[in-house]
Amino acid sequence: MKRSSIILLAVVAILIGALLVTLQDASVYATFTMAKKQQPETVTVVAVLDLEKPMDFQAESSLLTFTALDKEGVASTVIYNQPKPTDFERSEEITLTGHYKDDAFIATEILMKCPSKYTDGEGVVADGTYTQTQPAP
Amino acid sequence: MQYLGEHHLWSLAGRLFVALSFAGAFVAAFFYGLQVFRSPAAREERPVHSLRTAGRWAFGLHSLGVLGTIGVLFAALFNHWFEFDYVWRHSSLDMPLEYIASCFWEGQEGSFLLWLTWHMILGWVLIKTAKTWEYGTLFGLAIVQLFLASMLLGVYFGEVKLGSSPFVLIRELPENIGLPWTEFRDYLMRIPAFRDGQGLNPLLQNYWMVIHPPTLFLGFASVTIPFLFAITALIEKRYTDWVLPALPWTFFGVAILGTGVLMGGAWAYEALSFGGFWAWDPVENSSLVPWLTLVATGHLMMIVKHKKTAPGTTLFLAILSFLLVLYSTFLTRSGILGDSSVHAFVDLGLNGQLLAFLGFFTVGSLVVFFWRARSLPKSASEDAFSSREFWMFIGALTLLLSAGQITLSTSIPVFNKLIGPEGLLPLLDAKMAPPADAARHYNSLQIPFAIIISILMAMGPFLRWKESPNALIRRATLSLIISVVLTFVIAWGLDLWDILYVALLGASLFAFFANADYWLRYLKGKWTAGGMALAHLGFALVLIGALISNAKKEAISTNATFIHEDFPANENVLLPMGDTVSMFPYYVSWKGERMEGHNRVYDVEFYEVESPLASWADGERKHLKTSFSLQPFIQMNARMGNVREPSTKHFWNKDIYTYVSYADLRNAEEQQGDWKEPMEASLKTGDEVFLFNEYLLHGDTLVVVDAAFDPASGELTHLELALSMTLKAMDGQTYPILLPYLLDGNSVSNEEVQLEALGIKLRFDGVKDEEGSYGITAWQKKANDPPFILMQAFIFPYINLLWLGSILMGIGSLLAVWKRIYRSLSEGAK
Repeated sequence: MKRSSIILLAVVAILIGALLVTLQDASVYATFTMAKKQQPETVTVVAVLDLEKPMDFQAESSLLTFTALDKEGVASTVIYNQPKPTDFERSEEITLTGHYKDDAFIATEILMKCPSKYTDGEGVVADGTYTQTQPAP
Repeated sequence: MQYLGEHHLWSLAGRLFVALSFAGAFVAAFFYGLQVFRSPAAREERPVHSLRTAGRWAFGLHSLGVLGTIGVLFAALFNHWFEFDYVWRHSSLDMPLEYIASCFWEGQEGSFLLWLTWHMILGWVLIKTAKTWEYGTLFGLAIVQLFLASMLLGVYFGEVKLGSSPFVLIRELPENIGLPWTEFRDYLMRIPAFRDGQGLNPLLQNYWMVIHPPTLFLGFASVTIPFLFAITALIEKRYTDWVLPALPWTFFGVAILGTGVLMGGAWAYEALSFGGFWAWDPVENSSLVPWLTLVATGHLMMIVKHKKTAPGTTLFLAILSFLLVLYSTFLTRSGILGDSSVHAFVDLGLNGQLLAFLGFFTVGSLVVFFWRARSLPKSASEDAFSSREFWMFIGALTLLLSAGQITLSTSIPVFNKLIGPEGLLPLLDAKMAPPADAARHYNSLQIPFAIIISILMAMGPFLRWKESPNALIRRATLSLIISVVLTFVIAWGLDLWDILYVALLGASLFAFFANADYWLRYLKGKWTAGGMALAHLGFALVLIGALISNAKKEAISTNATFIHEDFPANENVLLPMGDTVSMFPYYVSWKGERMEGHNRVYDVEFYEVESPLASWADGERKHLKTSFSLQPFIQMNARMGNVREPSTKHFWNKDIYTYVSYADLRNAEEQQGDWKEPMEASLKTGDEVFLFNEYLLHGDTLVVVDAAFDPASGELTHLELALSMTLKAMDGQTYPILLPYLLDGNSVSNEEVQLEALGIKLRFDGVKDEEGSYGITAWQKKANDPPFILMQAFIFPYINLLWLGSILMGIGSLLAVWKRIYRSLSEGAK
């Protein structure tokens, strides 16, 4: 066998290995229902905050408890043992990584998507309401 | 209509400059293209100087367009012309001057402009130096510039938008056209929103963000040059000659892109609170990958240069590096990473165009490559096992595999788009998410690659051309012994016994000492010759620093509150104001907070135990001395969200890194408004009750101020009472109180009386009938609890090795570039 073929084989083997490890390490985007079934497997859930439900932050122990709605509209209590992220209430969407334990989703990481600067209400809003404003002195 | 105060002509000028740069690139591509497809021999025999001159002039016009675009954009930002959408979105009046530059490239349009500018400057260097390569490289560059300039055009063809112009006025945005306010001549004065812009993202208000993007984009731009040479080489069938002029460019790119990537890490470490300099974030990964392939390209080019054989792989890699830059641009700018990256860019609706950019160059270069693949020279014999070339090739291959693995994992969102449940070809039943523990995932795969690379870097300098294995072993023995011994000393000293970590530590120490030995012993420490050795030992130091600082990163802050066995104690220490809290090996105390511009700064004092022996006898706290103080802060930004920023104490052998993970951000007044749950009490005249364990309340008398009865029924219709009491504080101070009570018909009004000095308030609830005692409700302010913050603190040991290593690596690579330029200059002079 030529040495170049051996090298080629090794390369292919490593690539396949890396692919398998990646597939194994990759978590899946799940819903709360799926996460509950698959506990205690770590999954990623894309959800939105339910601001109607109470949110509790125990600052002294830095434990955050809130309710989130997943893409199917299923609500779940989420526990996050970290300080409340800044502007958490303003988030538009939250990506939760963690697992289910009994009746609560225990998040280890929260990634927030905040509203884009444009739709933030303060800008030049498209509805023309600014025509009512008084001319500047 | 003429709008008042609007800089409409400037906007027009800006757009004309963009159009000029677009058209200039097109014409330059045309004239240079005419030359490219003539054979070099024919070009030499019958040179058509007029075509070259025309190409250069066109490139000159293109450059004028680029410079003009920059000028107008800077003028708009500098003068705060908020009618420009770009200016309004990315800057504000209170912006410090130095961050105007950051505003410039915060948006995508600005960063494309930055890229365009570096290409333009490098293009002129090529015109001056590339000689016969000018036609091909400038032809390719002009096409690249054509695509980049089109990103800034901002013109519509029906519904299709081509590019996004930084010179669009807000009233011209599609969503605003036809709105009533756009009809006002004086809309700029009328509408308050135009008086100030949205401001720069607080995360980017950092000096690293002033220098990191230009460096990174210069790095990206220099990856383009080897690509241009490779394509030219393929078209003109100059398969091996291209290496000589392209080599300095490649190593220049290695130096600059490497520095740029690490500057990004430095920014993350200094300004972000994720606790580290590298998080395997998709955006970081996609700038690292082209660097890895560029390093591989550079090493393969050395092989081609010395042996004049088998340039196929080298050409392919030079092309691949550029394509990976485009791919990374696509990943970071298309919004496809939205769910998986903290750095998500705003989607400008240019996805189609970005994809076309990527697709054109991928298909185009592959077509050129395979068109020439048959005529590419093959290597006649295999390299000897002990030859430097063979191992250099293995090294390049390892780098390529490492880049491949990172790309694979980073591209998970792309796989979802392609084969996910909602993708083009739905093969998966659930969307894949990036690895939950990114660091573990990447480390487990990348550390083995790093070990191989380190060993190869160590052997590299000793593998002289055609030498016997024995000579190699003899030469490497010294550094091998030193590094093995040192590995065990360090692993023992730091208690670092993970097998992969020890292997990487050993391999990178070996690489460091082998290259230091080679430089000092064989090259006599000469700077001019030492580029390669310095770059390699610098890279080894980067690996050592990254390994130790990450593997032995230690959280010294812990939250002692026990919650539940499922929640391990987390890394947030509770700091009540003024208390001194133990945080081994330090004691810390939060002294207070203050506002500094937009920043809410928290002063945290660190203490050390002064004399361990004395403190052993009567407690450590009695023997504390101030060690240092840190000022972590929270950047207050109402529009874009408040940002926690770290503060780090640098020692030569470790960093203490802290940030405030939670703080009450309300202002003093709002905090004052808070009352705790009230307490109720009842007492008679002469009685005394305790309030809040702090005060003694004494009932004096109840005075009837006024009373009236209904003459018909004899019922009480009006009653005005005043309860007189005395409050005694712990310090003996007394406070007289008079609580009102008013009954009028059926309505009762009993207002609370507040004692400002004590932070309490009282209310008289009336006489409780049966015992005749007075009902009292009392509140105490929450602010009477000491305020507190939560803080995280980490020790990063030996992180300075990482920064030192990256500086050495940059210097080494630039020395290698300088040596090559110097050599080709002196060869040219002969």
